[in-house]
Amino acid sequence: MAAGSAVVRALEALDVGGAADKINLIPQDFFAELCEQIIQYLNQKIPGVNVAELCQRIQTSGSEINVGDLAKVANIVSFLFSTAARNNLSTEELVTTLGNTVSALPKHAVQVIRHVWNEQGKSVSVSEDARNMSTVGQFVDMKWKLGVAMSSDTCRSLKYPYVTVTLKVADPSGQITDKSFEMTIPQFKNFFRQFKEMAAVLETV
Amino acid sequence: MAAPEPPPAEGCRPLGALLAGIAQAAYHGNAAVTEELLRQQLYPEAAPEEFRALRAKMGGLLQSIASADMDLNQLEAFLTAQTKKQGGITSDQAAVIAKFWKNHRLKIHESLINQSRWDNVLKNMSWRVDLKSQSRHVDQINTPVAIVEMELGKNGQESEFLCLEFDEAKVSQMLKKLSEIEESMTLLTQTT
Repeated sequence: MAAGSAVVRALEALDVGGAADKINLIPQDFFAELCEQIIQYLNQKIPGVNVAELCQRIQTSGSEINVGDLAKVANIVSFLFSTAARNNLSTEELVTTLGNTVSALPKHAVQVIRHVWNEQGKSVSVSEDARNMSTVGQFVDMKWKLGVAMSSDTCRSLKYPYVTVTLKVADPSGQITDKSFEMTIPQFKNFFRQFKEMAAVLETV
Repeated sequence: MAAPEPPPAEGCRPLGALLAGIAQAAYHGNAAVTEELLRQQLYPEAAPEEFRALRAKMGGLLQSIASADMDLNQLEAFLTAQTKKQGGITSDQAAVIAKFWKNHRLKIHESLINQSRWDNVLKNMSWRVDLKSQSRHVDQINTPVAIVEMELGKNGQESEFLCLEFDEAKVSQMLKKLSEIEESMTLLTQTT
């Protein structure tokens, strides 16, 4: 059927088959957690998928997968779900299509995908503009610390306070990364002032 | 007793300029200000070795003062001690150095601070507020969002531009954290 073959072509382009090796490295419950997070992201319930954090836990459990490969798997599953949504595939259609494309996907992976899609696939709505959402990320959270630089090799009496900020950011593909930077006190005051102005404008719009 | 007088012809006017030149090279990264240039411009009648010694002495004094970021009390004590040393400075020279440091302390200190900032710094920030007109979910249409662009980078390296979306709730979240920082900062300045 037309919808199914569109998905098949898409999956082939993404080389889902090649991902099978990587998926094999992920223990079943972690793979289920990954798929859960992805579908929740697509349903706009969470801001993104924290691949790095999940990878650490998987590695602790003894698997050898690296962050890059886990990210690739996440992208593929995400693409699979959003393509299926765009083509309005039912659970059976999705599973059949997967079977047609990728015979090498481990059975447990197919089971997980089937379960997750069955439970939450209906509410994934993918509109055209989602793909045009450029390079704007979503702010998720912020950590900070305040320090004082006392001395350096060029100056024994530096004594300047500074703030280090780490922003947790979800990029357009849903992956969460950290961005850190430093501010001096005057820079921090300006930063603060700008956000206050933003709040004021948002209120009046 | 004070050290022997330096060549009287020039007086102390070029000393101020010499200190400025030394600071340019040492703290403001101006490689064009060479020793030879300074000698020609400020002490044309001095012999090169004589000038070199003067420059080295003044450079050393400025370094000590800048490294300790001396306040006026420390400066006075330091310079007075220098006038009493063998091969030290005259009280006229001390006066010129004091005046120079008072005028340039802040800028030189800032320069030294910048030299020790090796992590990403926030170079610039700009923002605008948009009305979200399209969205995956209908309930998001016509909600205002702030789009913030931050320029991050290390000193002397290419910048990375981070572009983020904040809705009203996220801005509140950010403001709360920023208030926490401000509180800590106030405590810090109170105790130091």
